Amino acid sequence: MSSTGSLNQYIQLIERMYRTSQGNFLARLLSLRDEHVGNRNLRSSDIATLVEGNCVAPLDEIVISHLLCVKSLYLRDFMEAFEHQSACVACVVKLLQNQKEVNWGLPVMYTVCLDLRLVAQKAEATYLQSNGKILEKAAESLLACFRVCAADNRSSDADTKRLGMLTLVNQLLKVYFRINKLHLCKPLIRAIDSSPFKDQFPLAQQITYRYFVGRKAMFDSDYRSADDYLSFAFHNCHRQSIKNKRLILTYLVPVKMLLGFMPSIQLLQKYDLMQFWDLVSAVKKGDLRGIDQVMEEHESFFISAGIYLIVEKLKITAYRNLFRKVYLAENSHQIEIASFQAALQLMGHDDVDADETQCIVANLIYDGKIKGYISYQHKKVVVSKQNAFPPLSSLY
Amino acid sequence: MSSYFDFFCQNKENESREKSTQNEDRILGTCYSMCPKDEVKLREAERLVHVLEVWGSERRLVKSYSRSAADSNMAVPHLLRPYSVLTNTVQYLLLDVTRRMDVPEPVLYDFVNDRLRAVRQDITIQRLIPTQCVYLLEPMIRFYVYYGYVLSGHPLKDYDPVLNKKYLLECLKWYLSCCDSIAEDQGNIDELSGFFSGLQLNIRESKSKLVNDQVLLESLYILCNLDDLHPLYRYLKMTKDLKRQEKLQLSYEIAIANLQGNYVKVCRLSEKLCPLLYCALSTYLPKLQRRALNVMCQAYNNKRLTVPSSALVRWLCFSTERDAKSACSHYGLKVNEDAILFDRSEFKTDARLHIPVMQNITKKFGLSLIDIFTYETSK
Repeated sequence: MSSTGSLNQYIQLIERMYRTSQGNFLARLLSLRDEHVGNRNLRSSDIATLVEGNCVAPLDEIVISHLLCVKSLYLRDFMEAFEHQSACVACVVKLLQNQKEVNWGLPVMYTVCLDLRLVAQKAEATYLQSNGKILEKAAESLLACFRVCAADNRSSDADTKRLGMLTLVNQLLKVYFRINKLHLCKPLIRAIDSSPFKDQFPLAQQITYRYFVGRKAMFDSDYRSADDYLSFAFHNCHRQSIKNKRLILTYLVPVKMLLGFMPSIQLLQKYDLMQFWDLVSAVKKGDLRGIDQVMEEHESFFISAGIYLIVEKLKITAYRNLFRKVYLAENSHQIEIASFQAALQLMGHDDVDADETQCIVANLIYDGKIKGYISYQHKKVVVSKQNAFPPLSSLY
Repeated sequence: MSSYFDFFCQNKENESREKSTQNEDRILGTCYSMCPKDEVKLREAERLVHVLEVWGSERRLVKSYSRSAADSNMAVPHLLRPYSVLTNTVQYLLLDVTRRMDVPEPVLYDFVNDRLRAVRQDITIQRLIPTQCVYLLEPMIRFYVYYGYVLSGHPLKDYDPVLNKKYLLECLKWYLSCCDSIAEDQGNIDELSGFFSGLQLNIRESKSKLVNDQVLLESLYILCNLDDLHPLYRYLKMTKDLKRQEKLQLSYEIAIANLQGNYVKVCRLSEKLCPLLYCALSTYLPKLQRRALNVMCQAYNNKRLTVPSSALVRWLCFSTERDAKSACSHYGLKVNEDAILFDRSEFKTDARLHIPVMQNITKKFGLSLIDIFTYETSK
């Protein structure tokens, strides 16, 4: 849309799009990421008076706040830009509320909401002391949109604004993850999961949604569902979206490892996730010292991704692999506790004693990772003649 | 669940929104005794003076908790105690009242708990600032942790562990969120510690004994919520200085050992804990023991072979072999003389939690009750 020309032409164009219900075009004309933003004619010093009376309600308010936001962005005043964009979203909410039985306005809402989040992020980065407050305010505006959409249950299935719920929920999830308020996600997830349009939402939105819900499940230690959600996201994500696929894998790899599936080196290389490779080889070898080293080396990566505790849990898998090696080396169904203890000490648990070794074995037996029993009197572990160390992937 | 805490958060948000009006909105209490005069009159007349409010011929009433009802206006200055009076009240409740030996412990707990709730109500209504809140909440948390352990063996009619946990968490979360907003205001942690030590000096000058020990409280947050990962996420995101604190590191190590099911390590490390952290862990111990016995039923499952009860004492912090054996038989396991036969079909998974014999904390650590409510981990 390079032909926006003068301010009047721009307004006429917007009005025409509005009259003819062309949501997508209207959305572009109100986007902060469209070419018209570069048009100098739209950056006059007194936008409000020029637009007022020149443009039909309720479009005038939207146009004014949109152009004021553009102006503030050029002046690099992100706080003010955020205020104007919030006003713009509020006007769009009103517009949508008054549009009964139609949903062609949804693209406009998507665009202004996405822009709001982006401006909020920009403001947040500029004013560090706000500490998430700006994004929280943005979330409030987004929730206002969400309420309008969720409440539209009178329109027919094709025309209902409820179809816009997922896009908004995704925006909100992005905000909540960024400001670390995961407890606020629950009602949103419930709203989507109970929606009759659950499977009709656009695939791209579904992928984003499952990526976040998968991360949330991982955070709550629900690894089975985390695997389901993240796997869906990974398999359906467009093959050229390398960056997104890498993001998904950051969480999917540790979850899969916990469930007994180790990633290949090719996969990790392809997506530039070699931080995991040292971990994979250490876990495979049962090298506890190695795991500690990896954790120290990549501490900030693991912590910021929220997977540090999963890595702690992977030590249990490492124990299992180590003990399996001892079992294969001894080539016997009766293994001395002392052998296991020596292996643990060799691999980095210097201060482990017979009591703790027994405790580690006991937990592995309880989890079904070793089949057998411990004899306290003989200080031995007696393992099953068949399948003493069942593959981890068969356990879940 | 934690209504005061929610209210506190809301206030914080509102404040940032309307910075200009906040001072006019705030109510300042003008009641300079521990109990408002109206309430003293009413309670004396209605014979509602608690036995713990009677000291010989003297009566020392403390404002009791009452639910806010629709028709009652709680925001009346002469019914609210300002910060200085609240500090004295908390100090009086924890350091003087708890020394009374003439009433059973559950009665004492109920009384102090009720009066502390009233204190929290006053804090909320007056919207005290975070730096004041921490000084009032910290001792309360010690109280709930200590009595949470001491009373855990009492029957439900005398003491309810669920309610205690609720109050404990309410105070803890409130406290931690205060610490966060203090840190936010101060901008960096060095200033924060300087700030705290400054406050402590002030307090000592006024001959007060209560302290504020953030390291202890952060550790308590971990050990009071061992089945929850969120305190650990919080720990991981802490500043390096805080993380390096010995007490916190130890608590984190215990939590990770517990996460990995390593009951032997948890119990072994517990011996290094300071009194209140020990109380927090000991309150969790029955759960740990039940889970561990369940694990052992699978791992030592045998119709013939046994495990000596002395091993259980060593592994699971039982105080005596008798205690270990009674726990085992409580969960349905066969006990032969000094050995336990682990048979996985016998284990009663639905049995109630077995509460072992309590240890006397003051004796174990050679501390008085006052020490427990006032010690600092850095010393």
